[in-house]
Amino acid sequence: MYEKEFNFIFDFAKDKADDIEILLSANNSFSVRINKQEIESFNYADAKGIGVRVIKDGKVGYSYTEQFEEATFKNIVNEALENAKYTEDSEIVILENHPSIDTKLNVYSEELDKVDVIKKIKFSKNLEKIALETDKRVFNVPYALMGNSTTYSKIANSKGLDKEEKYNAAYAYVVSLTQEKDDKRVGLEFVIGRDFSKFDAKKMAEKSVEKSTSLLGGECIESGSYSVVFNNEMMATMLATFSGIFSAKAVQEGKSLLKGKLNETIANNIVTIIDDALHPDGLASRSFDSEGYPSQTNILIENGTLKTFLQNTQTARKDGVNSTGNGSRTYKGTLEIAHSNFFLKPGTCKEEELLGQHDKTIEIVALQGMHSGANTISGDFSLSGEGFLYENGTRKHSLKQFTVSGNILKLLQDVEIIADNFKFNMSSIGAASVLVKELAISG
Amino acid sequence: MIEKKLIEKVIDKALSNGADFAEIFVEDTYNSRINFYNNKTKQNIVGKDFGAGVRVFYGTTAIYAYTNDLSEKSLLAAADAVSKAAKGKSIIQPIDLTKKEFENIHPIQIPNNTVSKSDKIDFIRKINEASRNYNKLIAQVDINILEKMQKVLIANSEGLWAEDSRTYSRVSIRSIASDGKEKQTGGENPGGHAGYEFFNKLNPVELGEKTARMAVTMLKADYAPSGKLPVVIDNSFGGVIFHEACGHALETTSVAKGASVFAGKLGKQIANPVVTAIDDGTIPNEWGSENIDDEGMTTKKTVLIKNGVLKSYMVDKMGSIKTGYERTGSGRRQSYKFAPTSRMRNTFIASGKSKFEDLIASVDYGIYAKKMGGGSVMPGTGNFNFAVGEGYIIRNGKIAEPVRGATLIGNGAEAIMKISMVADNLAMAQGMCDSISGNIPTNVGQPAIKIDEIIVGGRK
Repeated sequence: MYEKEFNFIFDFAKDKADDIEILLSANNSFSVRINKQEIESFNYADAKGIGVRVIKDGKVGYSYTEQFEEATFKNIVNEALENAKYTEDSEIVILENHPSIDTKLNVYSEELDKVDVIKKIKFSKNLEKIALETDKRVFNVPYALMGNSTTYSKIANSKGLDKEEKYNAAYAYVVSLTQEKDDKRVGLEFVIGRDFSKFDAKKMAEKSVEKSTSLLGGECIESGSYSVVFNNEMMATMLATFSGIFSAKAVQEGKSLLKGKLNETIANNIVTIIDDALHPDGLASRSFDSEGYPSQTNILIENGTLKTFLQNTQTARKDGVNSTGNGSRTYKGTLEIAHSNFFLKPGTCKEEELLGQHDKTIEIVALQGMHSGANTISGDFSLSGEGFLYENGTRKHSLKQFTVSGNILKLLQDVEIIADNFKFNMSSIGAASVLVKELAISG
Repeated sequence: MIEKKLIEKVIDKALSNGADFAEIFVEDTYNSRINFYNNKTKQNIVGKDFGAGVRVFYGTTAIYAYTNDLSEKSLLAAADAVSKAAKGKSIIQPIDLTKKEFENIHPIQIPNNTVSKSDKIDFIRKINEASRNYNKLIAQVDINILEKMQKVLIANSEGLWAEDSRTYSRVSIRSIASDGKEKQTGGENPGGHAGYEFFNKLNPVELGEKTARMAVTMLKADYAPSGKLPVVIDNSFGGVIFHEACGHALETTSVAKGASVFAGKLGKQIANPVVTAIDDGTIPNEWGSENIDDEGMTTKKTVLIKNGVLKSYMVDKMGSIKTGYERTGSGRRQSYKFAPTSRMRNTFIASGKSKFEDLIASVDYGIYAKKMGGGSVMPGTGNFNFAVGEGYIIRNGKIAEPVRGATLIGNGAEAIMKISMVADNLAMAQGMCDSISGNIPTNVGQPAIKIDEIIVGGRK
């Protein structure tokens, strides 16, 4: 697909740029949101864009367009060349052809693209209806929605690279608000996958309500140091917040606290963190990255030791290593680094064992303030949390809003047990519940 | 941008299954970003965002489709798709389109594309040098210049046909201080609904030094204490708490769902009587200002809270249909990829009568938040969580040592009742607000305020 557009740009750039890379993304998506059993919003999207990265005299320039006309294609090549003139980066940028992976990844489901719209509307209505019927303390279901999206991406460069892939996914999301006296709580449940027949509205709605009601009537917690269990979703949230520290670009630019720590023990020896773009259950799986580099499985922390950073070809050249296949670029953006399916390897214990390990343990089931109360350069965090107090493995009561503070590296060193209840979140970051020896809690 | 005849055809098609209302939004936007880092211009990107969205209403159901193929065939296909998503009772006739005339209250003096890249890079270099010269602990300075010229066309079945052009200029600066062991940051992000003249009015040396001072101060700071304390939040970006914890709950998007704590509270005392809050899109060349909103309505100044009493919500077209309140010109969206919804513009707490010094003097032991960081709020409950970017202890009525790592935790509805003093030093700061209709420029603002008691989460 899009051969005509690519050939036109290659031809036009041939005598002007030393090298050129063209990236295209075309997306079709649908979403429906329900409120009071009526369709609140219903969206269709059909959008595409094309972005170029040109090399001239070893310097890089970028440009993009969403208007597919020959005059605009000429414009973006010229503008990218103009941009390259002002780039002062001394690092040499080289475009290459890259091999392909041997296997065919299962990242597209034809069935999913055929699911009837009526079915999707009914599913979303059920999310809201069941949530409202589940418990009389539910006073509002502000979000009950589902959507699906299919993306075709193509990348080619003047060194002969030419790759394409199509992938899709569906998601659903329900939020229940419950109230008891003056206490209001939120419960959120999501699902993401390629098999819509496995989406269970009843299970999701009930879970969102249960998540919310279980927190009602919380008591204050006395400030101090406690052992803490992050449930699987919240451990994934913690990983998501600090995932950027593994980027080689962040390290090279002095923005990561992991700088200089390669091959050092930075976490407890039960901690293994992996980025796997080939993961069979991961929705971020893809055969190649945004530079066309073949996907691979990367062990970032192995039994507590920092083994590698995430690299694109540019940062890898600077570090004298190979790319890890984590080049990331949208047609509107510049070359960066991003994780794919990024996760903490699960353990074998049941979550209950984690909660019963100490006399007093706080289980954290909701966190807020991830983009404000977490400093990705120092590793310090101070977040608002919700959860429960456990005494000798028995849930005593839910807690009023509290803050949990610490440092991510200290946290990884203080991991005592990792459970087996592994789950990926909406951003393809996964974890099981984790017991941390101690963290500062203030009520 | 596209011919009137084609607009009319698209609206006709969109109404053809009995919709109550049809609208088309067309956009042609030029974006530019210069990224400067490690004393060098690292990345330059420019590009064109281009597309159209068609929206129809069936009662309180909104259907939206967008495409970036603006051919007749593709636009009619989008109109066809939205028309068929529901069925109405009767087919209405659209009113003839009349070009909307309005005064341009945000004139652009120097179009950004008439200024050379090297001039822009020179401006960046001055900031970079000032920050690095301020203190040798400054290890890195990250600077971005963002420029955007957005042309929009909005037409609807009620005869509206409006076109506008919006220019945004912004520089974002982040200085990082490091003592070899730890790192702290200081940032400034000034911006305007203005052309290149906006940068000419800024003082690059002051900007560089300001961010450096904040980073160095925080590097040397000890951890903040924890507990319930009185807090003085200084002007400008301090308004982010009002924006997040109260502003969003005053948008009809949240009010119409009953998910807002302020639903049904018009005319009621919802804040301390010292609080007056305004959302104003008419301030010339301010970051969150517009001539018309993204539904084509002339923007307004909306008093939200007067002396603690709730006076108005922020209302878009669908919000007006659902709640019955009059539209306030608050329908906004990031781009053609989003249907508009009620959003903030320049939202601020108005100046009061107290002096800044009096606020500080009234606190025996508490926190002075000179500069707030980002934060978030849980919709539905109004519980919020904000980082203090630059904080100090107040001891015996005087500003004492700096502290870091503090977060302010509370509830919007409760916190605005606890604002007991409002100073007279109103200032605004620029932000990007992300919500269901995308990421849009908004101003936050306030004078210094005193909150009698709030949970401070620290590490001590």
